[in-house]
Amino acid sequence: MKQTAVVIAPGRGTYNKAELGYLSRRHPDKAELFAQFDKYRADLGQKTVSELDGAARYSLATHTRGDNASALIYACAYADFQTIDRDQFDIIGVTGNSMGWYIALACAGALDAMGGMNVVNTMGTLMQEHLIGGQLIYPFTDDSWVEIPGRRGEVLAKMAEINSRENHVLDISIELGGMFVLAGDDAGLAAFVEEMPVVQDRFPLRLANHAGFHTELQKPVSALGMDALPEALFSQPNIPLIDGRGGLWYPKATDLEALWDYTLAHQVTQSYDYTAAIRTAARELFPDVFIVLGPGNTLGGATAQALIQAQWRGWSNKQEFQSAQGEQKSLISMGADA
Amino acid sequence: MERVGAEDQAFHKNRRKVTEGDLPLGKPAEGPLEDYEAVAIFRAQCLSRNLDRRSRKMQAAGDGYYTIGSSGHEGMAAVASALRPSDMAFLHYRDGAFQTRRSAQVPGVTPTWDMLLSFATATDDPLSGGRHKVLGSKAMNIPPQTSTIASHLPKAVGAAYSVGLAKRQPPEHKVLEDDGIVMCSFGDASSNHSTAQGAINAACWTSFQSVPLPLLFVCEDNGIGISTRTPRGWVAANYSDKPGLKYFHADGLDIFDTYRVAREAADYVRTRRKPAFLHLSLVRLYGHAGSDMQQVYLPRETFEAWEDDDPMLHSARLLIDRGVLSAEDVTSIYDEIEAQCTRIAEQVVMRPRLNDAKDVMASIIPPARECATRSPPSAEERAAVFGSDIRQMEKVQPMSRLLNWALTDLLLEHPEVVMMGEDVGRKGGVYGVTQKLCDRFGRERMIDTLLDEQSILGLAIGMGHNGFVPMPEIQFLAYLHNAEDQLRGEAATLSFFSDGQFTNPMVVRIAGLGYQKGFGGHYHNDNSLAVLRDIPGLIIGCPSRGDDAAMMLRECVRLAREEQRVVVFVEPIALYPMRDVHEEKDGLWMRNYPSPERRIPLGEVGTTGDGPLAILTYGNGHYLSTQAAKSLQVEGIETRIIDMRWLAPMPTEGILKALEGAQKVLVVDECRTTGSQSEALMAMLHEHCDLPKARIAARDSFIATGPAYAATMPSAVSIADAARHLWASS
Repeated sequence: MKQTAVVIAPGRGTYNKAELGYLSRRHPDKAELFAQFDKYRADLGQKTVSELDGAARYSLATHTRGDNASALIYACAYADFQTIDRDQFDIIGVTGNSMGWYIALACAGALDAMGGMNVVNTMGTLMQEHLIGGQLIYPFTDDSWVEIPGRRGEVLAKMAEINSRENHVLDISIELGGMFVLAGDDAGLAAFVEEMPVVQDRFPLRLANHAGFHTELQKPVSALGMDALPEALFSQPNIPLIDGRGGLWYPKATDLEALWDYTLAHQVTQSYDYTAAIRTAARELFPDVFIVLGPGNTLGGATAQALIQAQWRGWSNKQEFQSAQGEQKSLISMGADA
Repeated sequence: MERVGAEDQAFHKNRRKVTEGDLPLGKPAEGPLEDYEAVAIFRAQCLSRNLDRRSRKMQAAGDGYYTIGSSGHEGMAAVASALRPSDMAFLHYRDGAFQTRRSAQVPGVTPTWDMLLSFATATDDPLSGGRHKVLGSKAMNIPPQTSTIASHLPKAVGAAYSVGLAKRQPPEHKVLEDDGIVMCSFGDASSNHSTAQGAINAACWTSFQSVPLPLLFVCEDNGIGISTRTPRGWVAANYSDKPGLKYFHADGLDIFDTYRVAREAADYVRTRRKPAFLHLSLVRLYGHAGSDMQQVYLPRETFEAWEDDDPMLHSARLLIDRGVLSAEDVTSIYDEIEAQCTRIAEQVVMRPRLNDAKDVMASIIPPARECATRSPPSAEERAAVFGSDIRQMEKVQPMSRLLNWALTDLLLEHPEVVMMGEDVGRKGGVYGVTQKLCDRFGRERMIDTLLDEQSILGLAIGMGHNGFVPMPEIQFLAYLHNAEDQLRGEAATLSFFSDGQFTNPMVVRIAGLGYQKGFGGHYHNDNSLAVLRDIPGLIIGCPSRGDDAAMMLRECVRLAREEQRVVVFVEPIALYPMRDVHEEKDGLWMRNYPSPERRIPLGEVGTTGDGPLAILTYGNGHYLSTQAAKSLQVEGIETRIIDMRWLAPMPTEGILKALEGAQKVLVVDECRTTGSQSEALMAMLHEHCDLPKARIAARDSFIATGPAYAATMPSAVSIADAARHLWASS
């Protein structure tokens, strides 16, 4: 019997050293699709995704740049989506994290393959060109993925206090399961790093080559994106989409102007609530499984944390999730073991 | 095995008709409804219908507890589309489709999960916390709907009235948008209820004099109330020509027509700030509720004709004819939603439910809310507002004057406080308690209402929904009774049914109790508080002296403003002007005005004297016992008089502490013996205290006019007699 599935598209930071060669290794049968992507990039004078994926070695400077990473991740994830066995899985919803929203739009058919590349690449390039602000990660759960009492409030209070200082910007960029991704300007980020205790040996963790996504800092990028990417690129999805507020967009019932506006204005300049997206998918669609597209498998933890926060299937911590996962997989990461 | 009920059989017939193209006749799709919006409406209709069927399956399996459905009324989804999610909606219980459509307009809401949790009475039901299956949602601006017929209409009028005032004088906890409208819906049968008639009349009365009232009434006319048919044409005849109320009619089976007309009606209300009446013609499917066997009282052809006119078949016809969906698309949406509801229903029944009194009762008292701390008004500000009264403050004054000043200070300090009632404004109240307040604070905050207590309380409840702290006045206690459901069934239950998310804080002032010398008879001297005393969560204060009254009233406003409580403040009319206690011009019952920061906290009782004979009383009883105490003292019986001040919740701890060192206790109650405070006091004393006890209370009678005005109630003489008797007994 078919399993119902919600598919999750990953965001930036998922194509790392281990993923080098992902396209050729995983998707040798999709040369035609990649050729289209490559032509699109070549015409713009950008390195093609095949070149990037086929590079002799992974270069942090090259592979994590917004204009390169975005297209590369899109190609991997979109190709992964095409390989899902539809006889095994009935896909009842698609969502994504951050830039993964653009990929989700393409997977759901609201953008076609090249429309998706156009949106991803344009926004990734604009982000790189402007590179306004940056991001950091800070957790508020313990090792068992249980919320530390009061921690969330402490982080938000500190963030608000820093944001209120003159010449400091700091805001929620992404609600990511048990973590906040915060975004701000250098002063705001530096103040947070300086003033918050280090937890789990590595947080607060600044993210290289990431801009202050999903904050008002990106208003100029949003305006340029709206100029470059017309509403006509969008069409009715053929699979329900869940956005970064937990909102649902159903086939034939989607206001395309609103979808365009959400994609290029709202979610670019306002917080992206991945936790809400997973909560809506988990509760309202209640799939048998969540499938996280590659590249990478870094989104699995955040997804499980979001499911635990939603008390999905009664899970309340990491151990219960893992035990259930051991009996019957509810979370599949296509990018694992790249 | 899953139950297959009549509603399932009818639904499968519906599905077959879609497949076979056997769809009802009707007008083609017309109007401004966009195709994508029409599909969104249709999806909401399908979800609502499936939830109805699911609720009956869950009940049959012992997993669900409420089966009044929305089948036949799914056109309400198109009304939701015509409104904004920020427009507060007080819904009829058949408005599942309104809720499912609005859910899709508010990102993050999960209607299937949420509504199935409520069917299952799971504790994580996001609205009521598992207390009741009710429509509603904080995120969607839908307060929990109630089941007492049409009782939500008066507060919808109040909420609509509040919009304009909140725009000009925004309260700190304002909820509604300046250009928002309020919607309330009800059935054709409910429209006959006196509460509905009163609310609609209040709306007309308001609109007729051009006071803004952005309120959309939606009458869902399915032609029958349980088993009683509504006369054909009755709703239109009744409401199409009301003063100040614009009438609209739509075919509620046709989402395009419903949307078109609902948009027109909503635009009219939004732009003109006047009320409108949207009349939708609908059908009722599958009976009144799961337990209702409509075949017992309806000819089969009648409800089969309704099934043939199923609004979902009409939607399917309209969408297929317009080329938006194919028949296969329609049935695949049916199947997709059927599967979705089945999956989720299996999960929600495993969620925990409430199982003890503590958990059930946890939301009776609403949570406290953060309020901005403001500096108290300066001496200059107070002087400017009080005018010549400020000089009077050096002298002792009767209660009515001190209450007037306390109200002045409260209105000055808290701009969100508003008062409403019969004659409270320009006249300043029947007894002058609100004199000058209209001049001091304007007619917008001192609202002279029409003569209808349901409307007064509804106005307060609705304004409380929008961040105001209303102080409605009921002119006489006896007038409360025709409106008490507004407190009992509405105001007091709001926090309970919304798990503390919706609140309507207020202080209801009621002039009441007996002893007006020869004036007014029963209806102006009613001496029973029984109707208030058993309402869970309700606070009742009853002062006896002017200084106490001022300080208690300040506490009442604090309780409403900061703790969101519903408070009733019963003001003994006979004590308003009271000056003397023992002899003419002794002036002993008057007091100085206590400085504005002084309050008497909830639960704090007042004690005078420390004698071994305790007299436990309140209101007029305190005054009369003070008189009695003097004659007892002459006889060598020393008393202590304990004034409860707070009648509910009973200040047990304070009373017991005040009784320490006493040897006997006499309960004095001016209210009727049956159902009076004295019954509760005697029970409490019996349970918690070993002192010999007795009581004197009013006889179970109504109050007479003329010389016998006080004959049925305790007097100073009868109290003294009762005290002597108790004191002498072994």
